[in-house]
Amino acid sequence: MAYLIFSITLMLVYIGLAQLLHIQFGMLGIPNFGIVGFWGLGMYSVGVLNVQWDFSFIPALILTLLLVALVANGLGRLILKLEGQAMLCATLAFSAIVALLVITEKWLTEGVVGLGTIKYPFDAGAMTEPLYFLILLLIVVGIQLFINKLHVSRLGTLIFSIRDNEELAASLGKDTVKIKLELFTLTCALMGLLGALSAPLNQFLTPNMLVPSVTFAVWIALILGGKEHSMGAVLGVFITFGLFDLLIESYLPVAPEYAVMVPNFKLFLYGAVLVAVLMYRPRGVLGHSAAGARQELP
Amino acid sequence: MWLIRDSVFIGILQASPLILAAMGFTLIFYLNGFINFAYGESITYGAYFAAMFNVMFGFGFYLSIVPAALLAGALSVATYFLFFQPALKRGVRSTELIILSIGVSFMLRYGLVLFVGAENIYVDEPPIAYFSFLGVGATNLQLVALVLVLVVVFNLYWVVYRTGFGEVVRGLANNKELAMVSGINPHKVSVSVWFLGGVAGGLSGVFSGVFALANPLMGWNLILITVMVSIVAGVGSVKGALVVSIIAGMLTAAVTLVSKPLYAEVILLSSFIGVLWYRGGRLR
Amino acid sequence: MMNLAVRNLSKSYHQHPVLNLTQASFGKHSIEGLIGPNGAGKSTLMGLLTRRIPPTEGSIIFEVEDKHHDLIPLSSHQVAQIGLVKTNQRIQGFESLTIRDSLRLACTPPTQETLKSVFSKEQLSEAVEAEIDDYLSRFTFNEPDGYARSAGEKKLLDILRCLILKPKMLLMDEPTAGLPEDVTQQVMQEITRQTKANDMRIVIVEHDLELIWSFCEYVHFLVDGEMLFEGKPEDVKANRVVAEKYLGL
Repeated sequence: MAYLIFSITLMLVYIGLAQLLHIQFGMLGIPNFGIVGFWGLGMYSVGVLNVQWDFSFIPALILTLLLVALVANGLGRLILKLEGQAMLCATLAFSAIVALLVITEKWLTEGVVGLGTIKYPFDAGAMTEPLYFLILLLIVVGIQLFINKLHVSRLGTLIFSIRDNEELAASLGKDTVKIKLELFTLTCALMGLLGALSAPLNQFLTPNMLVPSVTFAVWIALILGGKEHSMGAVLGVFITFGLFDLLIESYLPVAPEYAVMVPNFKLFLYGAVLVAVLMYRPRGVLGHSAAGARQELP
Repeated sequence: MWLIRDSVFIGILQASPLILAAMGFTLIFYLNGFINFAYGESITYGAYFAAMFNVMFGFGFYLSIVPAALLAGALSVATYFLFFQPALKRGVRSTELIILSIGVSFMLRYGLVLFVGAENIYVDEPPIAYFSFLGVGATNLQLVALVLVLVVVFNLYWVVYRTGFGEVVRGLANNKELAMVSGINPHKVSVSVWFLGGVAGGLSGVFSGVFALANPLMGWNLILITVMVSIVAGVGSVKGALVVSIIAGMLTAAVTLVSKPLYAEVILLSSFIGVLWYRGGRLR
Repeated sequence: MMNLAVRNLSKSYHQHPVLNLTQASFGKHSIEGLIGPNGAGKSTLMGLLTRRIPPTEGSIIFEVEDKHHDLIPLSSHQVAQIGLVKTNQRIQGFESLTIRDSLRLACTPPTQETLKSVFSKEQLSEAVEAEIDDYLSRFTFNEPDGYARSAGEKKLLDILRCLILKPKMLLMDEPTAGLPEDVTQQVMQEITRQTKANDMRIVIVEHDLELIWSFCEYVHFLVDGEMLFEGKPEDVKANRVVAEKYLGL
């Protein structure tokens, strides 16, 4: 039971990341391949503040939000004017830098030894984990409500216009650079928040949590679910994480000698699914449009 | 002084895999205009193919390099025909092509893990001898690797710049219609480019552990730096890729000598973001 | 009084000069034309004026309503906010916006496009919606609430999007290319009306010289990146250089 709650709480984290990626890539067209960088920065920031410098959880959380927002804003200023391929490589490089620094800066992070233990922000006995799950659920529902509002708002129209043709939107007097930077900063900071909230969930932090597979798992979920659809992220994570990490890894009877292969099989299948979706159904399972608000494209 | 001397020497010794990978990657990137992350698997598979011929079929150590390189080239061509050519034909945008290449990369990498396991595979290597001159040392294997890489690089360079092949690729990359009118067969050129690129990647993998081991993540570990070097060098410049990868190798060696090797990577990646910013994101 | 003045403006690509304009000024007359052979640099000039293309060097000053704007340090959205807007020669659009949303986008003020506004109930004012309705009733689209599908519809939408911004000066880069004849006439009548009603200034780049002669009060003639001649339409028509270099007479 405890493991199930841990798993579905973790699934909520992935849903949140995929939702934020939907805003960044699906709506705005920014291919952020540095998700694990922002998430990991948030996680380690709370860990360091909490364990090394004895901050209690809430102040650590607030400082972490500010830190990740600052870093995202700085990176955004450097890369948001670049073309898609360049942005993709730059964000990927950013997340690699974060992972490397976590290994090298032992005085802060304890390096490969690992950093622990990060306690939950409150102690409600046996109810601690379920309560924590509820908090994350609230956050994810909140993000979803924001996305739904955003899709039908004036800002949403502007965001779509930037994705379609940024130069044309600017020629109509829209400060596209500012809008992109604001949204990138906000969504990356929220990725950092999800990272910060993952810290007590994982309790013990090690650098190998910051592998690019985290980024790819989020991407695969979003592409599979439907990158442009407001519910694509949720559906995608339900299919990928729900099917593999929850059902197969926890409940499918697998002989122990094959059990070690399950994660690898999962990653193989993730790759295959990503390829199949991009080749045969590039808009994902749900396809286009937000909650039926827009018509079918030509 | 010793720092410069050692950096140059170690840098050149250790840059061989990067040089090969960057040159091969540059060819493919130039022709098709998207960053192919699956290229990393050409590197990994090159090493595994060599290990397979060496360990399973008992090929001589140096002999196993040849079929490994050819197979890596064939694999690269196969990924082109199975995935990238259909996607390019459908006009899939470059960002989506990169994501596709990452999917292909995952399939190949973890397919390999499912087949052979995630552990390192060690290769039967000839006895190690240690040479030293001018105060710096190298093993016989490192020196052989250096000579082999020089031979391969020279050949690749010759093909691109002396046979007119580079011109053909440039023509096709810039204006396909015009190139076809002037008698270039785009099919043949694409196959050649993906094959040559794959061969270079495979050799890079073989030289990566200086013949010692093969690991499923070795391609992924090299691909980001490879992409970086290729972009910084200026897309389409095989010459530039050669120069920048040597510089990157020396820089890595210098930082490693005075500090931790991981800092070298941090510095390379940060300067990569800086270069992209400075250029305003123009890759081609 | 309106004046868009250019001094020593030049643009080169890879050391290859495309435009080298010592002096030019637009906006003294309500509708002006800019003509010249292909490759003369007309589109480049329009792109430079609206700051979509960075110039190699030179100055661009926009004087409007007693204000003096140096356009060189501005970005393209700031130029549009001052009231200098351009329609596009190449067909451009927002593929995921309906025709109506596209027009709404153009007249939504920045205050309604903030993160905070996502949660407010505030809608576009009725006056603005009425204006959009007015445009859509006078100009025919197949599906005003659907997407612009034909090239002609996209081109028309591009022009309407600019008009609804109520610019002080509108640059039109080959507005008739791709538009059916009757729509062209309708567009020209509309902009003529607006130059009078809103004191708007127009500069038109066109190869359709009949249109230039019949609507423009003043014509600039650009060849090889330099302004060779300018004047009233009848003077330009009568000019020997224009006749030789362009009209093929």
